[in-house]
Amino acid sequence: MRIINSIIKYTVLAVILIILAVLAYALFGDRDITKTSPLVGKQSPGFTIKLYDGKRISSEELKGKTVLLNFWASWCIPCRQEAPALEEAWQRYKDEDVVFLGVNVWDDNENAMSYMERFGGQYPHGIDPEEEIQVDFGIGGVPETYFIDKTGKIRDKYNGPLTDEIIDYYLERAMKPAEAETS
Amino acid sequence: MLFLFSPAAIATEKTLDDRVNEIAYLLMCPVCQGQSVAESNSNLANDMRQIVRKQLEEGKTNQEVLDYFVKRYGDSILASPPKKGINWLLWVMPGVAVVLGAVGIALFLHKSRRPENDVEFIPAAPGEESESEYLKKVDEELKKYE
Repeated sequence: MRIINSIIKYTVLAVILIILAVLAYALFGDRDITKTSPLVGKQSPGFTIKLYDGKRISSEELKGKTVLLNFWASWCIPCRQEAPALEEAWQRYKDEDVVFLGVNVWDDNENAMSYMERFGGQYPHGIDPEEEIQVDFGIGGVPETYFIDKTGKIRDKYNGPLTDEIIDYYLERAMKPAEAETS
Repeated sequence: MLFLFSPAAIATEKTLDDRVNEIAYLLMCPVCQGQSVAESNSNLANDMRQIVRKQLEEGKTNQEVLDYFVKRYGDSILASPPKKGINWLLWVMPGVAVVLGAVGIALFLHKSRRPENDVEFIPAAPGEESESEYLKKVDEELKKYE
């Protein structure tokens, strides 16, 4: 009986240790849980945006410039919260080879236009007529913002409303060469 | 030639809609609670279904379409986690838990049955009162007060 009791005790202990080891691996193991998107660190998907002023802009034309690509919708309250910060940041960075590009998704044209009139639309905004860019960039909601460096590589993604500090932090990172960022 | 028009051939031939649905059920809607892309009515799920359809029309295989979404949303977009890395545990642990549970229950039942079977009769030592003798004395004492 003593032997059986010992076996049970050690088995229970072993099971607990295994569970703890698995949990520790899941929490601290070799998994990149800090990335907000698997696309971070990779080349940006190609895109062509039809701007509200009638022009078109493609990812190819933006090579050599740092890009802030912001996804928004007129019905999105956090988008309204971040709109003033985006407008102010655009004023600060527009002479520094930084392009701000707003992409309206899951919206109708009329609401989008009145949103831009009300919350500012100084920098270019547009839509993807194919309605694919939102999935190409793996967005799960709005607002979401990608920071793309001069080589076309996605350096960061931010989910949620931006503030001045957040915009400055990520844009400064995107404006630095990738090597400088890692060193 | 006749085989092409036989009911069996028609039954096994998948239409584009079938393939779109098949893939949509393998993808989780990123903005929904526990719904697949096939089940969700969200705008994003709708866009995703359109992209699945377009890619299938372009001749991509089911796996290529799934890879497109994994590249953008990660493994969490898949309804069934891929059997690699730590994900193996998700497939193995339920079985292990059932086996361990069964062993635990078996041991518990075995242990709880033992006292009944293994009860030993220890006769009262000479000079030592057995429990029945003690009870007799108690009865005698109680009778005095009746």
